[in-house]
Amino acid sequence: MTLSVDVIKRGGQRQSEQFMRDKLHTSIVATCLSVRVPTGQAESIAHSVCEAVIAWLQQHPEVTSQDIRIVATKHLRIQHPEAAYLYEQNRITI
Amino acid sequence: MDITSSLAIIFLAALVHASFQLSVSVLTLLSGHSIGAKHSQARLLRLTSSFVIGAAVMTVLLLSFVSLILIQFYSNNPPLIVWAAASGLLVGVALCIWLFYYRHDKGTALWIPKAFAIYLNDRTKATKRSAEAFGLGLSSVLGELLFIIAPLLISALVLVQLPAFWQLAGITIYTVISLLSLLIVWVLISSGHSLGKIQKWRESNKYFLQFVSGAGLIVLVLFIYAVEILGSTVGFN
Repeated sequence: MTLSVDVIKRGGQRQSEQFMRDKLHTSIVATCLSVRVPTGQAESIAHSVCEAVIAWLQQHPEVTSQDIRIVATKHLRIQHPEAAYLYEQNRITI
Repeated sequence: MDITSSLAIIFLAALVHASFQLSVSVLTLLSGHSIGAKHSQARLLRLTSSFVIGAAVMTVLLLSFVSLILIQFYSNNPPLIVWAAASGLLVGVALCIWLFYYRHDKGTALWIPKAFAIYLNDRTKATKRSAEAFGLGLSSVLGELLFIIAPLLISALVLVQLPAFWQLAGITIYTVISLLSLLIVWVLISSGHSLGKIQKWRESNKYFLQFVSGAGLIVLVLFIYAVEILGSTVGFN
């Protein structure tokens, strides 16, 4: 599903793109799998986080990729704190 | 300097090298991407093993290269001024580590050029084959050259004074010890430990590791100053 929301990429150096639910879903599933969550549970967590992010995006026509990461982390923390921690750390590990 | 003291210096220098964290960060990320992409445990093992082997090869190459340069310039007896300069470098690097090693943000991001950090991040995500993981291992050691040059230089100065057999032993000891932290994380990941827990431990203890790295270099420089510089000046050597 594609919302008409412009996502400004990190640092503003790359072109902005439309929000893509699948992309967010895939990244949340991957993070959950990284902390050894079973695949089914990972899919279910990703589904609920995506729904929460989309609800938030309804009021925000233009956001940065970092905004999406922050909102997704907030909702992921409720579902699985360890996965949320790793999701948050992804860009600040190196 | 006798062989025991020489190997002790190499051992301590390698321990300081082991406390540096770039390779560990890259290995953690690489494993995260591999597990997240639903790769099999065997493939995860192949990728991480190739990464560790790459880091080992680059460590051996760098140590041998620095030793070769020293041999070319000073044969197997580097003058006192080189020891003094190397000691100065160690103190400078130790201070840099205490001041700058980690970026003052959340996470375990290091004070390396931002472009290089982004490159490593992107390459880690794109790595799918063992050969790429091997190359990533090589790059991650190179990326920390600014910090590891100090223990490498001191070990090379010690190595060039040793007989051939002990030079090989010294290189082996340095490589194995300097990879200890990487090997521990590799074993933890391979045995199914959670990456979240590993990363949390690293973040919680990052300032302790930073202090230990700097302090290790200071201890090393004091030992070298006493044995090589003061020893030569007062005629113990």
